[in-house]
Amino acid sequence: MQRFVFDTPVRSMRWGIAWFGFWVAAGIGCPGWAQQPPSASAESVDRIDFESQVLPILQDSCQHCHGEDEQESGFRVDGRAHLLRGGDSGAAAIVPGDPQSSYLLDLVKHVEEGMEMPPDEDKLSKQQIDVLARWIRQGAVWPGQMEAVELKLQGADHWAFQKVTRPEVPPGSQHPVDAFIDQALAKQQLTANGSADPRQLIRRASIVLTGLIPTPERVEQFVADSRKDPATSYEHLVDELLQSPHFGERWAQHWLDVIRWSESNGSESNLYRKNAWVYRDYVIRSLNEDKPYNQFVREQLAGDVMGSGEALGFLVAGPHVPAATVGQEASAIRQARADRMDEVMQTVGASMIGMTVGCARCHNHKFDPLTITDYYAMTAVFQDIEFGSRFPELSQDHPRRQRGQAIWTQINQQRNRMRPHGVWEENWGAYREMHLRPVTTTAVRINFQSVAVGIDELEVFGPQDNRENLALAASGTQVSGPDEMVGDPRNVITRLNDGEYGTMAWRARGNPKDKTKRPYAIFEFTEPKQINRLRISSNREYFYDTDYLTQKPGLNFGDYDVQVRDQEGNWKTIASSWYMNQQLNKDIAERGEAMEQIQRLIDLLAEEGPRPSFIGRFVEPAVTRVLHRGSPENPKAEVMPSAPAVFGGDFGLGSNATGAQRRQAFAQWVVSPENPLTSRVMVNRIWHHLFGAGIVTTTSDFGTAGAAPSHQALLDYLAAEFVAPTSDQLQPWSVKSMIRLLVTSDAFKRSSQPQQSALAIDGSSRMLWRFPPRRVEAEVVRDSILLASGVLNPEKGGRSYRIHNIKKTYAQWEVVDNHGADTFRRMIYQERMRRVDDQMFTAFDFPDCGQVRAKRPVSTTPLQALNLMNSQFVQHQADLLAKRAIEFAAGDTQAAIKRCFELLLGRQPDKQEVDDCLQVAQQHGLPMVCRALINSNEFIFLP
Amino acid sequence: MSNPERLSPLGRRFLDRRGFLGIAGMSTASLGLASLLQQDGLLAADSRTTSGKTPIRPDVDPDHPYAPRQAHHDMPAKQVLVIYCPGAVSHVDTFDYKPALTKLHNQKPPGLPAVTFEGPSGNIAKPFWDFKPRGQSGKMVSDLLPHLGELVDDFSFIHSMTTDTSAHPQGENFMNTGFTMEGFPSFGAWVTYALGSENQELPAFVAINDPRGLARSGKNNFGNGFLPAAFQGTDFNAMNPPSNLRRPGAISLQAERDTVSLLQRLNERHLSRFPGDADLAGRIASYEMAGKMQTSVPSVMDLSNETQQTLDAYGVEGGSELKGKYARNCLLARRLIEKGVRVVQLFNGSDPAGGNGITNWDSHKDILKTHAMQAEIMDQPTAALLADMKQRGLLDQTLVVWATEFGRMPFLQANGTGRDHNPSAFTCFMAGAGVKQGFNYGESDEFGFKATVNPTTVYDFNATILHLMGLDHERLTFYHNGLERRLTNVHGHVIKDLVM
Repeated sequence: MQRFVFDTPVRSMRWGIAWFGFWVAAGIGCPGWAQQPPSASAESVDRIDFESQVLPILQDSCQHCHGEDEQESGFRVDGRAHLLRGGDSGAAAIVPGDPQSSYLLDLVKHVEEGMEMPPDEDKLSKQQIDVLARWIRQGAVWPGQMEAVELKLQGADHWAFQKVTRPEVPPGSQHPVDAFIDQALAKQQLTANGSADPRQLIRRASIVLTGLIPTPERVEQFVADSRKDPATSYEHLVDELLQSPHFGERWAQHWLDVIRWSESNGSESNLYRKNAWVYRDYVIRSLNEDKPYNQFVREQLAGDVMGSGEALGFLVAGPHVPAATVGQEASAIRQARADRMDEVMQTVGASMIGMTVGCARCHNHKFDPLTITDYYAMTAVFQDIEFGSRFPELSQDHPRRQRGQAIWTQINQQRNRMRPHGVWEENWGAYREMHLRPVTTTAVRINFQSVAVGIDELEVFGPQDNRENLALAASGTQVSGPDEMVGDPRNVITRLNDGEYGTMAWRARGNPKDKTKRPYAIFEFTEPKQINRLRISSNREYFYDTDYLTQKPGLNFGDYDVQVRDQEGNWKTIASSWYMNQQLNKDIAERGEAMEQIQRLIDLLAEEGPRPSFIGRFVEPAVTRVLHRGSPENPKAEVMPSAPAVFGGDFGLGSNATGAQRRQAFAQWVVSPENPLTSRVMVNRIWHHLFGAGIVTTTSDFGTAGAAPSHQALLDYLAAEFVAPTSDQLQPWSVKSMIRLLVTSDAFKRSSQPQQSALAIDGSSRMLWRFPPRRVEAEVVRDSILLASGVLNPEKGGRSYRIHNIKKTYAQWEVVDNHGADTFRRMIYQERMRRVDDQMFTAFDFPDCGQVRAKRPVSTTPLQALNLMNSQFVQHQADLLAKRAIEFAAGDTQAAIKRCFELLLGRQPDKQEVDDCLQVAQQHGLPMVCRALINSNEFIFLP
Repeated sequence: MSNPERLSPLGRRFLDRRGFLGIAGMSTASLGLASLLQQDGLLAADSRTTSGKTPIRPDVDPDHPYAPRQAHHDMPAKQVLVIYCPGAVSHVDTFDYKPALTKLHNQKPPGLPAVTFEGPSGNIAKPFWDFKPRGQSGKMVSDLLPHLGELVDDFSFIHSMTTDTSAHPQGENFMNTGFTMEGFPSFGAWVTYALGSENQELPAFVAINDPRGLARSGKNNFGNGFLPAAFQGTDFNAMNPPSNLRRPGAISLQAERDTVSLLQRLNERHLSRFPGDADLAGRIASYEMAGKMQTSVPSVMDLSNETQQTLDAYGVEGGSELKGKYARNCLLARRLIEKGVRVVQLFNGSDPAGGNGITNWDSHKDILKTHAMQAEIMDQPTAALLADMKQRGLLDQTLVVWATEFGRMPFLQANGTGRDHNPSAFTCFMAGAGVKQGFNYGESDEFGFKATVNPTTVYDFNATILHLMGLDHERLTFYHNGLERRLTNVHGHVIKDLVM
């Protein structure tokens, strides 16, 4: 369904026609390109003559700044086509037949502050403005220019926007990557290094593929195997590393960096995003399973209809300002929504498309062929997404769902144990759930024993359909209660059954001195209903959205009795929460035990089953309009969900398309084999993480302002192979097989030894005459220390390990423990709050998750040195490492020193090193030696 | 850790700038990514800023990120002190005198909005403190800030400040990073990136946080954003040194020395296998610098040599506990400036959870009490700091900026005791190197509701600060995600009138 047409005149024509269609659709009336201008006879007497009346105005007052020589704001007036298109603002300067929609008139009338043209005293006269308005109304006739003139969008002929064609592999090496690399090296008369030493090679491959240094045993085995058969032993190593569950943990972080994924909102309260980590686990699992990249993309855009609902966590990875801190002004609320949509745009643009789409939010993109219309048409794709929580839609075979079902089976078993012993109540955190014996009634009454209650929703279910809330106002049920107990009119009793969770709750306060004056609620059904369950919550939304707050809203309603009305009209008590929780559960052992089990299983389900998670929630898609100059206060023409026009992004969807349809169509466009960017961007990203710099170094900007590729033919070859491989080593869209191809090249296996002459020509080693060494990332430092000291906990996935406090709503997160035994997991599982300094690795360019980070900077600072010398983490680890080595060496210090070298550096120390270390170990203890080794350059640099 | 005498021969060689130049081209660190790209001819040839000017990329030596660097143009200011008051200081109760409010006291505000940030508006309220003429100039300043009032002849006020947001965290972000959104480099990070530092033994950019904790935008106010981590503000104050500065208590001085010496030998042997690798040498040098910081930071934090007279002038004792702590922070600020630290950012307020009761200038309820408590902390120590700096000649090459994120409304909130946020008019001031003295720029309307004469955006404000620091805000850029990013985005005009 997609066509990417890059011979720009044709493309632009389609673009032009789209606009033409808009005029028609908007009922403005088709001016027929004014071949036959609307010839209202009344006006014919006042026919504007372009040559004598309009052209002089344009030439005298506009053309100086908006002509052939100079085009301020990207706008020129010396041709009808230019006027039709408008300038950077993206608004058409003239809409023939429609002066109202013609931005030119706003400008000359000085309607908009800061956009007065011509400025100040040069303002056109009233008569001149009138001439322009009439000229436009009459169809903006410009003799000789009435044929549709095609305008090429700037940058449309840029290399990265052309369809990928597979280049011929140059002659030479058997390995296609080396064939391209060698050719470029020869051209620059660079001589490549030989192979790296096996010890370096295994260290390099292990760190790059899994983020961990190799164990001493694996190093020795590899060294021995390499002696016999270097090629095979290396291939085995690579396969082993790619199969390791640590592979996904390493590579998921790269993806999370790009989309600045974090477990908090950012902004003032920086609230924790509950269960957001299910998305992190999704990314790790996808990479470990080698899920085809096209599927990975589609799921993150439309996983809700593919059985991977948690993948939509991608769309809400960026920061957002929660409603509570936006303020009450309507314009601020609209602006906040537009800002959230922009975060979604940045995520999608930087990660999948490789374009800086955000640049077209306020005006046409300065450098790339993206218009402001494209930008808002793309926001239309995501109009049903809002930041918040929901239950993820998971396929039958999804591991989390299967786990959930297993737990549910157990819960039901325990409920069956419970049932003979009467009614009971479960605490689900978000709500309490009362399980009743099925009873048919026309009304339910709940009498609260507390003086004050706050309830956002009270639901009643029956055995007929365990999902249908019989109490819902929408089903005709009437709710009533003691109105005199409600203080604030916003907290009326109808909040109880309006179907909305959150802060808008029923709040009632009775008389503390009179037990008969307590809050109650009566639900009257339209007809007799069989009921067996009640669910009561205070602020379910808050419970699902966030956690770790000192003043977290609890369940504010205490104990209560449930009554039903019998046929005689008498209220009959069928349950009392106090009695069953405090008496029955204690009196009946079986019951108490089952209850305990149920509560345990509920907790387990919350950790391991599908639960509401901060992966976005759905809203009704709103009509989407171009926001002039990026302001929600300036909505202009409506746009339909589509991808950028220059890339054939019209899906033919209208404003009635569902959210999922929009996102599916967009996903299909992204992964279309014809899309020139998707595969280039991804193979380049892979290259970047392997070699330290991409073939295009600006890994998330393939536009005209991005960097030129160092090896374009190679990039295109890899991009083509990624989608439709000809090599039998590759599978379509397989990230792992692409990585395997690249790391088996000589280019990857080369020694990193410097050559003075080569450095003079290619200082950054981008031609790959050597493997470029680099400082490893924060995670590699931390995780490798834990591995070496023997305490790395290999537990995969699940809730992040905590390093922060439990805080007040508007306080900052504080790091309370970044070194204890609970933190000995891989750092990707470290609780990630936006913009919090973890007191350790932020100094190592660990990102603050505020902006997309396609590439981490690498800095060297004294704070790194201080953290790595003096932190409790390193002290503790140095002790553990020393202890491990001493045990291994059965108490022999010299042997223990050797073991420390093996564990941290994967090699034996030479004699001098042993002597140096021995001296320190004997005087100050082995941990001081470990501390020095952890701080050494050799440990911290990728060889 | 090491002291300078213990500097290894190799370390010394690499610390030496001239020795360094010979191998600088071999660095692979991507600290100055864009400059490397340019050098390799890999960035699009005609790299442009959004204003069309060519960027001036600081020549950051990746392994010597704090080396002093040339400004774009010559200006007297070499250092900058920003005093930031989170929570929004009421301009109409401090520096922006509006007699009309007294005239219309308790009346419905004519033509002013019915709903503001927190909800419905109440009636107009006269200033909660009396205004009096101050200094030679007779500039009207309220009794809330009598000490600062005495110094008005040294200040350039901007009474026509406007901002884009009514929310504190976004407002703080905007003032301190030039964007309401998170994750952009802070002002201090930009300046450090551009200019490096004159002092290699102290952090180039210090954020002195309020004793009650970080402001609402937390680390974002002094973070590096997408600039390299080398340029983030180092967070410490007069009470708390930077984390991990001190040698752990369990490690003796001798053990420390021997460990550092072992580390040096290990690194030298390693370096000898990669001759001339600047990244490795740079990392060795960073340990030497860390060692120096271990003595220079405690030394600059040590106030024991300050005279009683100075301590009294700053109000270290005799006021509230918070005032005493803030006064110490003011002293620390002066000492850091004396030592040549490039950027010092001094906070007077925290997030709302920071202390007991009053935590910052936000005054939706009972402004009479809350502003008074906050002013008691801020006024005397800040005034003493500025007077002290002037007396010591530090203002000759230090720019001082006093700022807050927005103003407060001329009318009360519906609750009747506090003023809501006003993004359309507020007051900030500058002083010191390159700034006109006793000058007022811009005006708000008769109520202080909206800036009317020379409205000044946050972009203009930041552009002016950079200009005063010798930097062209349109040309100080860093390539990130497709754009040559600037502190001032694509906006901002230098307020030339304010420049001496």
